[in-house]
Amino acid sequence: MWKVMLKEIKELLRDRKTLFFMIALPILVFPLLIGMVVFFGGKAVDKAENKVLDYAVIGAQYAPALAKELAASDMFNEVAIDADTDITAFVKAQHADFVLVIPSNFSDDALANGQVKLKLYLNDAGLNMVRKRLDKIVDRFSEESQTKAFETLGLNEQQQVALIEPIVIEKVDVADKRENWGEKIGGMIPYFIFMLCLQGAMIPATDLGAGEKERGTLETLLISPIERHHLVLGKFFTIAFAGVTSALITVSSMAVWGLVLSQGMALKVVAEFMSAIGAIDFILMFLMLVPVVAIFSAVLLSLSIYARSFKEAQGYMTPLVFAVIVPVILAMLPGVELKGGWAWVPLTNVALAIKELIKGTMDYFQLVAIFSSTAIIAAGLLYFCVYWFNKEKVLFR
Amino acid sequence: MIEISHLAKKFTVENPKKLSEQEKKDPRLKGRFFHSVENVSFHCASGEVLGLLGPNGAGKTTTLRMLSTALTPDSGDITIDGTNVVKTPVVARKMIGFLSGSTGLYGRLTGRENIAYFGQLHGMTAEQIDSKITELADVLDLHSFLDRKCDNFSTGMKQKTAIARAVVHDPKVVILDEPTTGLDIMAAQTVLDFIKRLKEKGIPVIFSTHHLDEVSELCDRVTVIHHGKTHFSDTFESFKAQSDGSLHKAFMRIIEQGGE
Repeated sequence: MWKVMLKEIKELLRDRKTLFFMIALPILVFPLLIGMVVFFGGKAVDKAENKVLDYAVIGAQYAPALAKELAASDMFNEVAIDADTDITAFVKAQHADFVLVIPSNFSDDALANGQVKLKLYLNDAGLNMVRKRLDKIVDRFSEESQTKAFETLGLNEQQQVALIEPIVIEKVDVADKRENWGEKIGGMIPYFIFMLCLQGAMIPATDLGAGEKERGTLETLLISPIERHHLVLGKFFTIAFAGVTSALITVSSMAVWGLVLSQGMALKVVAEFMSAIGAIDFILMFLMLVPVVAIFSAVLLSLSIYARSFKEAQGYMTPLVFAVIVPVILAMLPGVELKGGWAWVPLTNVALAIKELIKGTMDYFQLVAIFSSTAIIAAGLLYFCVYWFNKEKVLFR
Repeated sequence: MIEISHLAKKFTVENPKKLSEQEKKDPRLKGRFFHSVENVSFHCASGEVLGLLGPNGAGKTTTLRMLSTALTPDSGDITIDGTNVVKTPVVARKMIGFLSGSTGLYGRLTGRENIAYFGQLHGMTAEQIDSKITELADVLDLHSFLDRKCDNFSTGMKQKTAIARAVVHDPKVVILDEPTTGLDIMAAQTVLDFIKRLKEKGIPVIFSTHHLDEVSELCDRVTVIHHGKTHFSDTFESFKAQSDGSLHKAFMRIIEQGGE
């Protein structure tokens, strides 16, 4: 069995394609892509923030003070507009970034003139800073009007606050920081880990089953004097090893790059969050992944040996990705918790447990159910895999 | 000495609609089963080379796969020097060297690693493997490419390496399924020379082929299979005597005499 495994791993390590997907992709390409998105995203925001916006005002005569403020701002540049211009077309033709229409009832006396509705014409589809900058100026006029109205009505400060928001709900969150974060990202982490394990195992699985058939090496291997279950186990462990390695590399690469890229505040939050999760929790997560990877490997190997070619094997494996997503999505649904029946549902239970461990609210008693159900299924699938490898109609299709 | 008696093997037909017209007319198709091999018997003694002949689809490959233990026969017996291949396949595998026509190598391993891997699977020690590879490399002239990756091998190099791999464990009988099909003349000659060498060493060789010139060059015995049954199994001289000297006519006559 070890002879088979050693040879498979040796071959795997010499395959540039596999190495690229297993190691280079998670270590370099993913962070590079994410880095690029962050870089260009940041650049776009930067550009939007520094851009001087062209604007036009209709009805400036009703609010000369506001118009003056706008004109005075170095972030705005006024362009001329006729009162009878089609404003929508004007903005669409990019003559201005926005057009502000001031109504005739504009005043600082809210009690006498009612609510003032400024009309803002802009193309809001892209990233822009129009509202942010405009609010800064308009809010001041709004507040002035409000204060003046409160003074006229003779309200004290307490009444003013109550009038603005008569009833407020004050939230007291008893969840600590870890539980809070765990709930938010704890559902996503098992999803990533599962997918990475599956992806990492997929390429070697294709090679070890269908690949042997396609290259014509399977027959020779089958007639070597080695028990069939040793052959299956050798291949099975190689696939499982590849899956776990790929997941470990990706997760550690994410962690390292995360630490490198995040600065100051973010770093502190990440470090705090990570240190809150104990070593035992990490080990438990890893241990739970072992039977999960075993399930993946057994299924992948069975599919691969059934397929006649690489292409066919890939065709069979693609739907498996969707099959894995379902139990993980189930774990993300509200109300699905790690107790009772759910603790026995394979994959879902591990996904839930990883989330609980991250949150720090794990009921360790449930581990019995998780390990039993996952291990039983993994053993069953592995048994099936050995049986499958003994079927002539599978091997010689 | 290898003896094969009354071998039979049937396969389930998964989808009868997918069968070709020719397959549907085949008398071996009975209900849901296709009786690929119905009754095949022959034997090959030490130092003999047996040529297995038959039209395409006659059941040659199925027969050889049963001999190599890749397939388990439904009935019949195979014995090598008294060892029952059907009942103790794992023991028998150590006695058999098998090379199929479509055999491949692990492209990312070197020629040496390919051969050594099968040596290891046969339970050989590192020293045994090393000395055997050196010996085979001398005989088959592998030295120039033995430590290169197989991906870039020519067909001839591949075939030579595959031969070395098949006999690394000193088998007691060698079985070759159409070993020269698809090879150029030089590569084919390598295979034929190799068979001769085995014959000189007293190892029985069974090989299937469509080339009658190969049969006349090498074979002591000839077995003709048609529609899964042995139609002829005797010495080469007896085969030749079926017609006035032409091997092709002899072959055709045996097939026609068989009826169907």
